Amino acid sequence: MYCVNCGVRLGDAEEQCPLCGIKVYHPDLPRPQGEPLYPKDRLPEKKSASKGLNGVVIFLFLFPLWICFLSDWRVDSTLNWFGYVAGALMVLYVGLALPLWFRKPNPVIFVPCTFAAVAVYLLAIERMTRGGWFLPFAFPLVGGLCLITTAVVALFRYVRRGRLYILGGASIALGCLLHLTEWLMVLTFGGGFTGWSLYPLVGLALVGGLLIYVAISPSARETIERKLFF
Amino acid sequence: MSRQKKHSLRWVRLDNAAKIYPAARRRNWSNLFRQSMTLNEEVDVAVLQQALDVTVKRFPTIAARLRKGAFWYYLQQVEQAPAVQEEYSYPLRFMNKQEIRQCAFRVIAYRDRIAVEFFHSLTDGTGALVFLKSLVAEYLEQKHGIAIPCEEGVCDRTQPPPAEELEDSFPRYAGPVPRSRRDTDAWPMRGEPQPDGFLHVTCFRLSAAQVLEAAHRHGVSVTVFMSAVMMQALQRLQQEKQPNPRRRKRVKLLIPVNLRRLFPSRTLRNFAMYTIPELDPRLGEYTFEEICRVITHKMGEEITQKHMASVIAANVRDERNPLVRLIPLPIKNMVMKAIFDSVGEKKSCLTLSNLGVVKLPEEMQPYVKRMDFVLGVQAAAPYNCGMLTYGDTVYVNVIRNIRDAELERCFSAVLQELALTVTVESNRN
Repeated sequence: MYCVNCGVRLGDAEEQCPLCGIKVYHPDLPRPQGEPLYPKDRLPEKKSASKGLNGVVIFLFLFPLWICFLSDWRVDSTLNWFGYVAGALMVLYVGLALPLWFRKPNPVIFVPCTFAAVAVYLLAIERMTRGGWFLPFAFPLVGGLCLITTAVVALFRYVRRGRLYILGGASIALGCLLHLTEWLMVLTFGGGFTGWSLYPLVGLALVGGLLIYVAISPSARETIERKLFF
Repeated sequence: MSRQKKHSLRWVRLDNAAKIYPAARRRNWSNLFRQSMTLNEEVDVAVLQQALDVTVKRFPTIAARLRKGAFWYYLQQVEQAPAVQEEYSYPLRFMNKQEIRQCAFRVIAYRDRIAVEFFHSLTDGTGALVFLKSLVAEYLEQKHGIAIPCEEGVCDRTQPPPAEELEDSFPRYAGPVPRSRRDTDAWPMRGEPQPDGFLHVTCFRLSAAQVLEAAHRHGVSVTVFMSAVMMQALQRLQQEKQPNPRRRKRVKLLIPVNLRRLFPSRTLRNFAMYTIPELDPRLGEYTFEEICRVITHKMGEEITQKHMASVIAANVRDERNPLVRLIPLPIKNMVMKAIFDSVGEKKSCLTLSNLGVVKLPEEMQPYVKRMDFVLGVQAAAPYNCGMLTYGDTVYVNVIRNIRDAELERCFSAVLQELALTVTVESNRN
């Protein structure tokens, strides 16, 4: 039998052309019977991520948690600082250990999850200390960082090219966010505008601009490669 | 098994080439290859199991498992032969860490086919072929009561293995001056990955006489000829994918070289090196004749005792470095993995490994109708290719872990242009 599309001669067991996928069919010719190279529907079972490893990781988190609980409780039978440690460990767990539960953890999902955990932790601290700084200061700051990081991770993952552009853009965005942070600090906590954020803004904007220039200019890339190869 | 007997099991250090494979392993990839013989009759699994029980004792470094020391991995002979396994819809399914620790090879029976899949640290294609031939010879002797002489790579299973079969030949034949391993990067092949981990195998069957005649018409060997076909296919594929010639990357093909043909070694462990002919498509389109010339000259220059000895020297120098030797295994693993990930597979588009003409003792030939050699895909690159010639047929097995058979299409087109009759089979149905 020959493939009607690409003309290649096919093995007797082929039901479709292995090269172009066209079904092997001719109304006047009976399809030759041949033994397939491999059994048709016998696929290996997929195993989930290692349960043992996750157990060990959970223990590594629970053990210090338990020690902290005991240390705090034994002093005056109340919990004073335990909540902060527990929250921090939870954030650490969400960021580092939660992806281990999945076969192919997608960072585009887990990075925002980690930032959400950080935001919840900060909100809890603010409630415990009655600071009133979460909505005007912490939320926009964490949100901005989350947006920038997620954008970089997503673009790195789904767009194969233009990594220098992505890093350059992220660098400039980070500089702007730092500048915004200073304004948020002034608005939330009072005090004067000292302008410290202009230094990182200028530095990061320069780095970002340089990265974008290198991305645009092949001769700059060539020069860097020539000077820095090892 | 008594404790004393466990301790009497033979163990060997990994040879120089084998050291990278355990470190390079990933969560869903390890370096495997498969060789198989298809018989003229259904395989009797019970007899095959008995034959395997006998054969494994003769090959203590191939029938082995990978174990960890404080500073290096080592291979330990398996206590008993592994059970013969069933075939799956694709070959070379992932061999995980636990499996490699228990037994780093598997024997698979499917209808009339006996296949063996090896973790590459155990041996190379030549060693594996000796194992497979001996296993099938033992099977046929037990099944049909025939006597098969120990020739053409069939070993006597009743004799203990000679020391020269177990040696690491790399240090012995290392030259005095190491050669730099610096090399240019190749065109990185990519495609949409097969989401469920399915591996597509496409087997091209060609008439050996036709291929030989075509190769001679171009004045080259079969390996050079088929490598040229593959490079031509790669060149065309890149032209399709990258219309701008200035942006095209080098087309490079890794061709393994059996060092036993250059050095008087009889080892059954890894003893192969490679040569990587390359085309620079920015310079223009190479004709088939030009590609043949490029490969011939590259192989002529590099497949010499002196060149290979200097490449071996460079590899052996690293493992002899006292500092390297003293680094604990987990750290060594991390460093080697980082090196492999950043350099290992970037130097070629894919591997085309040719086992050459496989000969069997005359007594075996009536029972064996076909043989195949399938290389596992690389860790990052989606393709690989293994070929051998048995009887009057050349079997070229191309494996891929991406959806589209784009390289296979180009490869088939080049073969057809060269007026070769090719029959295509696959596991796609």
